[in-house]
Amino acid sequence: MSSILIGELLSIGLLVGAIGALLMGYPIAFTLPGIAIIFAIIGWAMGAFDPTFFNALPLRYWGIVSNEVLIAVPLFVLMGVTLERSRIAEDLLTTMGALFGKLRGGLGLSTVLVATLLAASTGIVGATVVTMGLISLPAMLKAGYDKRMASGLICAAGTLGQIVPPSTVLVFLAVILQSAYSQAQMAKGNFQPDTLSVGDMFAGAFIPGLILATLYALWVALNAWLRPSSAPALVIDETEKGGLGSKVVVALAPPLILIISVLGSIIAGIATPTESASVGAVGAIVLALIKAISDHYLDRLPPATVQRALLYLWSSVIVLLGVLGLLAGGIGVLTLCTLALVISCIWIALTPGLAREVGTRMHGVAESSLVITSMVFVIFFGASVFSMVFARLGGDNLVTEFLTSLPGGINGAMVVVMLIMFLLGFFLDPFEIIFVVVPIAGPVLLNMGIDPIWLSILIGINLQTSYLTPPFGFSLFFLRGVAPPELTTRDIYIGILPYVAIQILCISLVWFYPALATWLPKVIYGGSP
Amino acid sequence: MAATAKPSAIVRALEVIAGRIDGFTLRVGRVVALLGFATVIVCYATVYMRYAIGVGYTWTQELYIWTHVLLIMLGSSYTLLKGGFVRVDVLYARASERTRAWIDLIGALIFTLPFIVTVGWFGWPFFIDSFAMRERSLYDDGLPALYLLKGSLLVFAGLLLLQVMAEIFRNVAFLLGGTPLRRAPGISA
Repeated sequence: MSSILIGELLSIGLLVGAIGALLMGYPIAFTLPGIAIIFAIIGWAMGAFDPTFFNALPLRYWGIVSNEVLIAVPLFVLMGVTLERSRIAEDLLTTMGALFGKLRGGLGLSTVLVATLLAASTGIVGATVVTMGLISLPAMLKAGYDKRMASGLICAAGTLGQIVPPSTVLVFLAVILQSAYSQAQMAKGNFQPDTLSVGDMFAGAFIPGLILATLYALWVALNAWLRPSSAPALVIDETEKGGLGSKVVVALAPPLILIISVLGSIIAGIATPTESASVGAVGAIVLALIKAISDHYLDRLPPATVQRALLYLWSSVIVLLGVLGLLAGGIGVLTLCTLALVISCIWIALTPGLAREVGTRMHGVAESSLVITSMVFVIFFGASVFSMVFARLGGDNLVTEFLTSLPGGINGAMVVVMLIMFLLGFFLDPFEIIFVVVPIAGPVLLNMGIDPIWLSILIGINLQTSYLTPPFGFSLFFLRGVAPPELTTRDIYIGILPYVAIQILCISLVWFYPALATWLPKVIYGGSP
Repeated sequence: MAATAKPSAIVRALEVIAGRIDGFTLRVGRVVALLGFATVIVCYATVYMRYAIGVGYTWTQELYIWTHVLLIMLGSSYTLLKGGFVRVDVLYARASERTRAWIDLIGALIFTLPFIVTVGWFGWPFFIDSFAMRERSLYDDGLPALYLLKGSLLVFAGLLLLQVMAEIFRNVAFLLGGTPLRRAPGISA
């Protein structure tokens, strides 16, 4: 046997072996490189693998950790964890529920709205599903909602963070596809290749994300209209109504300001994703500090007083932001943010008992952020070993031959890659999938002429769909963990089905009308048609 | 029956060593976690100076790369301790405590250890080459001693090795009849 054939056989063996090894249940970040190293050694012994390929590994890792764009990832993670820990989601859910609850289907619509806002600010899928499962689900069940519709809605809307910017998955996709994209263009004789930025990705995901949220909302509205008993209005007594207006401003204004400034500055191209993410993280810290201060006084002063103070605070912040933004632009906004940070820090330091409490809470935020960030990057390390060994054994040739020989050309290849990712999504995290599959299959697809933004958005929605599809969707497990016993697993599985159909509808829309993903980036950044 | 027998001295020794390593990793992680906030503040300060005052220093831009790299390199062993690395738990979740200990032991021996050795083995020349020319920032106002940051890959391997040894000791101790393992719940992104 020639060494090429041995190598290709070994690369297939590596694939099969990896699936078996992963099922064992050892952490994926170490299983992937471990099994790859075993096959590399076998290949080396049989003359089908050159171990000097490993010399490039440290440089590759260095490229990953010192990549300016990827520094946005820990910043977005920290922003998300800070917001999650400051219980901003809880406030949003209860106030929005009270605001829309008296409408038929109103609780459901407010769940979609809040889920979209959370997706655009924290983006932490597990946390979103759990929080909504703890707050919105009991509220909807108590109001007499169809329990299947309610649970499905939470599982589906909670996963929006996968696709709605600032999705960290999209940040990684931009970085991984960037080099493959320029190579593909150079191969076609375009020596001034278009670049692929995180801004492109976020702009591309914007419309599909809105479509998904709108479709969820339409489904709830349709149910409320055709089957009024499935989504009844909430009976709200007058005492709860008091001060609702100010509560809405206080709960909604902070996250809205944050989302608009972070996403707006990235998509408009004013700042790099890393710069915007750092501003977003500081903004989130400011919100968390103000929340901690107001919680502190809620225990000591009459709630109405605190509520009024908060209303004045946030209204004046909105006005100030508007005035400063118009008069001084970014400088004004940044200065206001810095001042707010300094003042709230001093305030906390001078309030007896508060400093220690906030310090403990912030340390918790730092530790969770550390765990999430290092997990993602170490998976990237491990998956790099895997894809490197797989490619160098000859697996990349096999994949190219396989994908280009499929019937249906580009469409056939896309369908196969999407199906594989969908199935992998039952067992692996989105990060693991994109770190393994995209470096191998991405260049082939781009060489066939597929638009990288379209590809990334489809990958994003696809992985999100796999996150909520029974029987293995992670989102269903997250909800199961917090759902009351009267909601059976069967209910959750059946309840999600209409939303799976919505996902498929959205994928089809983007598939047949690629402009849904590619139009906005083109409008914003120009570029060749 | 092994569980009812009095744990031997070896088992006790393994448990004590594993506990000591955990304590060390925990302390390192708690300090390293603050680098996340450091990255935010330094990056924000850089942005503020650029947009508000119109000055940019290379060293501040490089400083938040340093804090970011060190966060990952020095913090990963803490993540291992906290059970932060995701598993495919279709079968693992249903396995008995004993089977899980075997899986974790075998996985550590045939997957994690070779990976760490590979990173260390190839990371050494990467550091030495950088150290030999006393590599620093390419820019005059950048940070010195870039080789230290490149050498952090070796620290990554070292800290991870230490924590994996703790996991190995703990699982061996359990399989030899030691105290049951307390498990940190896994997380998913």
